[in-house]
Amino acid sequence: MSFREKSAWITLVTVLACFGAYFGAIATGRVSARGFDTLHLLLACVVGLVLLQVVLTVIAAVTTPKDGRAPRDERETLIQLRSQSLGYSVLVLLVLGLFVPGHLGHTVIDIMNFALLDVVLAVLTVAVAQIIMFRRGA
Amino acid sequence: MAQAHGLPIANQIRRLRFEHEEMTQSELAEKIGMTRQTVAAIEAGKYSPSLEAAFRIAHVFGTTLDEVFQWVG
Repeated sequence: MSFREKSAWITLVTVLACFGAYFGAIATGRVSARGFDTLHLLLACVVGLVLLQVVLTVIAAVTTPKDGRAPRDERETLIQLRSQSLGYSVLVLLVLGLFVPGHLGHTVIDIMNFALLDVVLAVLTVAVAQIIMFRRGA
Repeated sequence: MAQAHGLPIANQIRRLRFEHEEMTQSELAEKIGMTRQTVAAIEAGKYSPSLEAAFRIAHVFGTTLDEVFQWVG
């Protein structure tokens, strides 16, 4: 497995874990969506995400030292462009969907959480698309 | 001849590697500035390289482009 594919897996797993915990806590009512608890949880999730990604990326670079140092080749660049294009389209569609909770009377904080969820889903789309393209060859 | 997976281009990279002292995919990848996975994808016909990369591959084997890649339509 190339370093870039490992990076995509790292993004998928860490974002799922950290933001899964965040949105899971809100959805199950373990923290109020409107209090400072949510803000603290969000900060903890972001810090956890950054730390996990740094540690796992270092491990990936150590286990594939040549790939880790090398710039992206043309196929990897193509995969990156295609996956980001798909992620952008998903993000645009989801952001347009923010009008729905807005009209249903949700608060600004709720809508901000929906917007954050949109960004997370777009990032996950990019990671999944990259993994699929790396697995298929292009 | 590696027949492309839906791509209209076949290639002789596998044969040429073996004819050049059983060059590995990693060695070829290093010579053309790509990853081993990309060379594997080109060889398996899953990815069509750029014209520049195709010329680099032909140059490594000391041959012409049409000796390495064939249009199969």
